[in-house]
Amino acid sequence: MGKEKNENVIESSLKRKYKLQAKDVNVFYGDFQAIKEISMDIKANSVTAFIGPSGCGKSTFLRLFNRMNDYVDDFRMEGKIFIDNQNINKKKVNVELLRKQVGMVFQKPNPFPKSIFENVAYGLKIQGLKDKTFLQERVESSLKQVALWDEVKDNLNKSALALSGGQQQRLCIARTLAVEPSIILMDEPTSALDPLSTAKIEELIHELKYKYTIVIVTHNMQQAGRISDYTAFFYLGEIIEFDKTNKIFTNPEKKQTENYITGRFG
Amino acid sequence: MNNIRKNKIKDQAFKALGMLFTLFGVSILVVLIYNILHIGFTRISWDFITSLPSRKPEEAGIYTAIIGTLDLMLLTVIFAIPIGVGAGIYLEEYSKKSKLSSLLEINISNLAGVPSIIYGLLGLGIFVRYFNFGGSILAGSLTLSLLILPIIIVATREAIKAVPPSLKEASFALGASKWQTISNVVLPSSFGGIITGIILSLSRAIGETAPLIVVGAMAYVPFVPHSLFDAFSVLPMQIFNWTTRPQQGFAVAASAAILILLLITFIMNGIAVYFRNRWQKKLK
Amino acid sequence: MTNLDQYRESLKQSGLEMFELCEKQMLKSKEAFLTHDSDLAEEVIHTENRVNALDLKIDRDCERFIALHTPVAGDLRFVLALRKINFDLERVGDHAFGISKYIIEINTPIDPKLLENLRFVEMYDSALSMLDDIKEAYIVDDTKKARKVYKKDKVLNKININAFKVISVEVKKDPNLIDQYLLLFSVIKKIERIGDLITNIAEEIIFYREAEILKHQKKKKVRKPGKE
Repeated sequence: MGKEKNENVIESSLKRKYKLQAKDVNVFYGDFQAIKEISMDIKANSVTAFIGPSGCGKSTFLRLFNRMNDYVDDFRMEGKIFIDNQNINKKKVNVELLRKQVGMVFQKPNPFPKSIFENVAYGLKIQGLKDKTFLQERVESSLKQVALWDEVKDNLNKSALALSGGQQQRLCIARTLAVEPSIILMDEPTSALDPLSTAKIEELIHELKYKYTIVIVTHNMQQAGRISDYTAFFYLGEIIEFDKTNKIFTNPEKKQTENYITGRFG
Repeated sequence: MNNIRKNKIKDQAFKALGMLFTLFGVSILVVLIYNILHIGFTRISWDFITSLPSRKPEEAGIYTAIIGTLDLMLLTVIFAIPIGVGAGIYLEEYSKKSKLSSLLEINISNLAGVPSIIYGLLGLGIFVRYFNFGGSILAGSLTLSLLILPIIIVATREAIKAVPPSLKEASFALGASKWQTISNVVLPSSFGGIITGIILSLSRAIGETAPLIVVGAMAYVPFVPHSLFDAFSVLPMQIFNWTTRPQQGFAVAASAAILILLLITFIMNGIAVYFRNRWQKKLK
Repeated sequence: MTNLDQYRESLKQSGLEMFELCEKQMLKSKEAFLTHDSDLAEEVIHTENRVNALDLKIDRDCERFIALHTPVAGDLRFVLALRKINFDLERVGDHAFGISKYIIEINTPIDPKLLENLRFVEMYDSALSMLDDIKEAYIVDDTKKARKVYKKDKVLNKININAFKVISVEVKKDPNLIDQYLLLFSVIKKIERIGDLITNIAEEIIFYREAEILKHQKKKKVRKPGKE
């Protein structure tokens, strides 16, 4: 009995150290197994990159953390996902509340066909927050965080669709930040953008990590090298290697990892 | 003659044939309209519009018919829109994909193609007889609502389907509930498509005669209906009625009424096209 | 400042730290040698550990920079140059270490007259000023400053060649002085090598700034301006 208690103390202090955790996770779409026995611990205020060939489960795994897979037919999960120590798949968990804690940015910028202001304020308005001053302050600070404020401050009522691709993606990030999540999930956020916009967003991610915990799926290995602290290499639904980024890129443990990183396969 | 030349000739021939058929169709329409215009244009006047029908062709007017048409359209809209749009939203957003739902989808599309007189018989049985509404505007509008319901449901579903799923994803990812997503993102985006569908279905309903005859729209209503339960008439009925009379004057009056009906139809279609264009631009 | 720039800046700072460390080593060794201060010499010997540790750190950081940021153009030339500069500086530190070791090994101070004959102090001071020049050039990315060291290196070479002749003559006059002269000759050789290392560093800085490779070429006096 005493030993059990000690183990729980150790486990729970470990849990406190980690912002996100996955334990023995398996994911199935009907008969197809997309994720095989993955466990992972992610620290707060870090940038973790998921790399690997297409269709290896990176996006699926990412979406477990904000339960976006719930909308897919045939989706079934085994194992546990913890955020701040709490199992997010328990019945009592309010999914909408979860998503205010865990924001997501998608591959193709997807601003609503509304004004710039309305886009950024959307997440707040659906929570019932109406106070105009509050909304204006929050919108301004979010747009400043993504370095868009100066470009759009005189045109907040213009349609968001009039912005360029890179600006739209930054707008989507601002929209996510406005809700003040503590975790931001990014699913290939720059793959649809030109190099200059990509560089701006990478800079942004580098600054954001001091306030947020970021997990980013990327096809661009150099991007993972540039911006992440930790990297996980996915292959066919499994994690082959998960370690500090500079270890993975200078001296990975597994040959498979080395082959992928040096471009010899996948 | 080599292949290139053969293809070129086929190309030109097809083009010419196409133009010929188009001209044929258009010219028939032109001839018809010209005919009607020729006969009835001079008959149109403010008097004509505001006079009640009468046994004397010179005094006959379309006042009752127009009021009847407008009242009918209004009531039909009130009944059909909430049910049609609501059903469309439910079917597209809430119901799970299953064998039953696919069956439902096929059947709703089928209903849109059912001959309108069947709806008339349905309306007769349920609204006129069973509920005892009699041959009233209420019965007529409820019948027409059933008629255009499938069209509105399909139009609503198509408009909702056209909203990119990425927008819904974005909304969910920000913590919106299903209903919040529908009312804040899906409906505003599909609004144009839905309106287009409603207007088009209405412009079809305006011209319906058979089901209304069955339900009991009267051909000769020399008064303005005041309550929902009054007898009524509509423009197509009035036209039908006048064309059956022997007097030449009525033929003229009928032509004039046809012109008014055509005008209303064109205007409604024009509005629908305008909305559809705005909506398509927004989606881009 | 971008992430890349931050990393590069920190690499540059490490390089500067290496410069200053090795400069100090050389200054201390000179003083220890001239005043026969064995305590100061011990300090230099002790500090050699730091030099080695910094050498390893810079090496590792350069590797990391290349792996994570895949630098190209100026950034790439910078990190490639830094690796070599680091290597050369470590050797400079090593020579200073060696000079200090001599002080520990011998018991008596060197006769100042011998130092005068060989222009020892002048040579050492030249080397020190070359190191200072090249450090300045490194800090401000100035290839003109870098080129200054070539002229001064000629002085070192002259003194080195001369030393052989002078010692030859002097030893025949008084054979007892051979021990001291041999020691001085070893140190002079070290200083001459330090001069060569510093000219290597100059080549690296010029390569980095102008993408021009001067290795294995004869140094002409007039140079085209190039990128500054």
